[in-house]
Amino acid sequence: MKSNTGLVFALPALIVLFMLIAYPVFYTGWLSVTNDQGQFTGLQNFSAVLRPRVTTQALWNTLWWVAGSIFFQVLLGVTAAILLNQNFMGRALVRSIALIPWVIPGIVAATTWAWMFHTEFGIINYMLTSTGALDEPVGWLTRSNTVMPAMIAINVWKLFPFVAIMVLAGLQTIPQELYEAARMDGASYWEEVRHVMLPQIRPVITAVTLLLVIWALNAITIIYAITRGGPANRTVITPIQIFRLAFENVEFNQAAALSVMFFAVVMLIVLAYIKAFASQPGEVQ
Amino acid sequence: MRRSRFTSRSLRRPGLNRPSIFLGCIVLVFVCLFPFVWMSLSSIKVLNELYTIPPQWWPEHPTLANYHKVLFESRIPRYFLNSIIISVAATGLALVLAVFAANGFARFRFRGRSFWQACILVGQLLPTAAIIVPLFITLRVLGLVNTYWGLILVYMIITLPLSVWMLTSYFKAIPLELEEAAIIDGASRVGILFRITLPLSLPGIVAVLVYAFITTWNEFIFALCFATDSRVKTLPIGLAEFSTEFNTDWGAVMAASMVMTVPIALLFLVFQRHFVGGLTAGASKG
Amino acid sequence: MKSLKLAGFFALSVLSTVTMNTGAQAGDVVWWAPNWGEERARTLAQKYMAANPGTNIKIEVTVANGLPERVLTALRSGAAPDIIEVQHGWVNGYAQGDLIVPLDDTIQDKEDYVKAAIDYVSWNGKIWAMPYRIETHGVIYNKDHFKEAGLDPEKPPKTWDDLIAAAKALTKSGRYGFGITGGGEVGNTIFRSLPFIWMNGGDIISPDMKKAVLNSPEAVKAVEFYTNFYKQGLAPKSTLENDGLALRRLFIASTVSAYQSGQFDLPAIQKENPNIKLGAMMIPAPAGKKTAAVLGGWSYVIPKSAKNPVESKKFLQFLNTTENQGYYTDTFPARTSSIKLPRFDDSMLKPFAEMLPYGRPVPVHKNWVKIVQAYFDGIQRILLGDQSVQKSMDEANEEIQALLN
Repeated sequence: MKSNTGLVFALPALIVLFMLIAYPVFYTGWLSVTNDQGQFTGLQNFSAVLRPRVTTQALWNTLWWVAGSIFFQVLLGVTAAILLNQNFMGRALVRSIALIPWVIPGIVAATTWAWMFHTEFGIINYMLTSTGALDEPVGWLTRSNTVMPAMIAINVWKLFPFVAIMVLAGLQTIPQELYEAARMDGASYWEEVRHVMLPQIRPVITAVTLLLVIWALNAITIIYAITRGGPANRTVITPIQIFRLAFENVEFNQAAALSVMFFAVVMLIVLAYIKAFASQPGEVQ
Repeated sequence: MRRSRFTSRSLRRPGLNRPSIFLGCIVLVFVCLFPFVWMSLSSIKVLNELYTIPPQWWPEHPTLANYHKVLFESRIPRYFLNSIIISVAATGLALVLAVFAANGFARFRFRGRSFWQACILVGQLLPTAAIIVPLFITLRVLGLVNTYWGLILVYMIITLPLSVWMLTSYFKAIPLELEEAAIIDGASRVGILFRITLPLSLPGIVAVLVYAFITTWNEFIFALCFATDSRVKTLPIGLAEFSTEFNTDWGAVMAASMVMTVPIALLFLVFQRHFVGGLTAGASKG
Repeated sequence: MKSLKLAGFFALSVLSTVTMNTGAQAGDVVWWAPNWGEERARTLAQKYMAANPGTNIKIEVTVANGLPERVLTALRSGAAPDIIEVQHGWVNGYAQGDLIVPLDDTIQDKEDYVKAAIDYVSWNGKIWAMPYRIETHGVIYNKDHFKEAGLDPEKPPKTWDDLIAAAKALTKSGRYGFGITGGGEVGNTIFRSLPFIWMNGGDIISPDMKKAVLNSPEAVKAVEFYTNFYKQGLAPKSTLENDGLALRRLFIASTVSAYQSGQFDLPAIQKENPNIKLGAMMIPAPAGKKTAAVLGGWSYVIPKSAKNPVESKKFLQFLNTTENQGYYTDTFPARTSSIKLPRFDDSMLKPFAEMLPYGRPVPVHKNWVKIVQAYFDGIQRILLGDQSVQKSMDEANEEIQALLN
């Protein structure tokens, strides 16, 4: 058996992606070490972009954003998947409903949620105050301690169906014998979940988590559409800063420098992830 | 006690008890539908009922005028067609490429495998703002601006990496014994892929299909820059066209959003029985 | 199932090559016109094509969402149309980036144009765009609310102190007297707060653009005046999430009694709530000082990579005759002869027209966007309650000074 057969299988995809990505990668790298006249400036763009206060703030916000989003997306997604794996009447309908937050276009979801969260027009405040749960309307998007959690909540709502669908697909491929074996040992349902389901879907969960990290690090639609990174940079994350640099400030060189740094960090995370979970069963020598 | 438990249950899977399922479904449906209900009610409201203080759920004068505008007085139908063509083609192309690539990564160990896997993910990691100008230059040089193919190719960047990644993990979950049995029977690698791996990972394929389709269906910024002619524009651009400089026709935007969202959900409803797959009880015996 | 998919896929690819857009031919002029003026654009294009057979004007409709990004991407990648409509403030960035061509040879009757508009699009001794539309803010108010508060709706406030007093009288029974913006796009708050700084004799940066002067007493007093509307409860609680559009909606819902905006809001308000008796006034100034406003509006530019600049320049001259400019603009035309057209002879528009001479362009510094972002962050810090006005402006000033070096 040729040891390169695997590479041959992967080649078409690699070629297509290479053709599309090679030039942008090179272009970005070139931009990051030149100025807007095309002259070589070394690391000047990098230091210029690290200097302002907002860069550090964005990094911290990004950390919160990613950690908060992923934790709840995975938790809710897996729970929903387990639920949807059950056999009950109307299951098909509930599964389709569960898909809806993901299907709604990002910009529409963002503006609808902003509308619902609005201090004066929002249905959320209205329902909470009219049922007496709150005395006064809460400025969800205007108070520094609620604005980022609100953004995270919207991001979780939008993407947990993705996790649910992916994990559900994984649950569906669990062979029947594993359940039977567990049952012969007298396992209860929850023990089944812990000892049969979760281990089997571990590869899916790890793959999904990595994707969620990448998405969270790249997603600007929700935050940009609602708060633009405000108020006072409370919700600005690094991808938004890159977007601002490139398109609002027309500082393409600095945007490229920030992209390069960002990309390097994420690549490291990805490589670490792949190496850590590389030893999986099911491979041909 | 033990004996009665497994003799009566060995034929069907136990699950959560009925009340838990019911409660879980109620919560799930509420969480998912709450904003959607707000959207759909807004789509049948007249302009002056949309932003009232205090807000009200039910319209006093429900109207279908927004839908009429969206379906008969705007370019949305044409954009719907464009979106279908582009999303189906992009999804198909991505699936074909991803199936082969995932097979390579999941089943073979070759030198630099981790490196190539990471390379595949690279496209997904680059911020849009960084790659959009060079991509535009590439498309211009290839003469693909304002064409279906231009967008389809560009969408490979946002669908292929994840599809490969996800499919790799689904393929890995299939037990090796099945394939080894087939090899002993003399099947080729490609034959195994099509006759064993794919059918058994059907839920995973469907999941990846859903992901790729939805991603391209809702994609905005590439479509905005690379499709400036109405003949190629997609639905998200159509949504944006209901906003003028100082005004957004919210009723029409909500109606158009329904037009964009509901067909996908219905499509999934039809196809979701393919989600139920995996190994049946007899496959691994013998 | 798989072969079906493959077949469908091939069918689609054939279909798509057949219906592939062939793009514009030579002799075409491709015009990126925004969707709110689409109908009028098509009418004008028809007129021109009838008088100039052999030239095909191809209109591609743009939307507000993502427009600056889209234009910049097109310009930088060399795949740009022949004519683009952009806001005045964007022109200098394009000019300095060598992305557009100068239009000194195209603009006719230069003296007829409002000087501020021409200044806005001038750089390095050349004119880089043809302004066709200018506008400034005024203050829109609810005459019924004024009456109920015991104020005379026909004698709106003229000074800062009058405005504060009126706002206080109007703020009751769930209403807010004077709405301000604190959220949304930065421009919303610049257009509303910067004039107050100017009126009081201050500025964000010095005229020679070397020094940041945002923490001067005049500027600080103006910022305090602006943010106090929120701090004293005269502006809605949602101020930090509100942009101009949200304010308009609050006004329509009768929750806000007065707010700054342009005349483009008037038709929308009348449509959504015909019961409101609308009033408009000039922006109040400090006692004894003159009012001011930020000049806004739109211009035409021709990209450097345009395929048909010669024909495009001819077309631009057609679009900017007194009559055509007056017809196409949404607000006011940039030519003083056009303003005399009957369309603008409306009593509701009078205060806005009277504000026009006080309209000033924003400075043309290459870091202007970052400068106003720093300023806006400062305003938000004040509204959040994080810092006092002086401290916030000091911090912003420091950031801005770093951007001027």
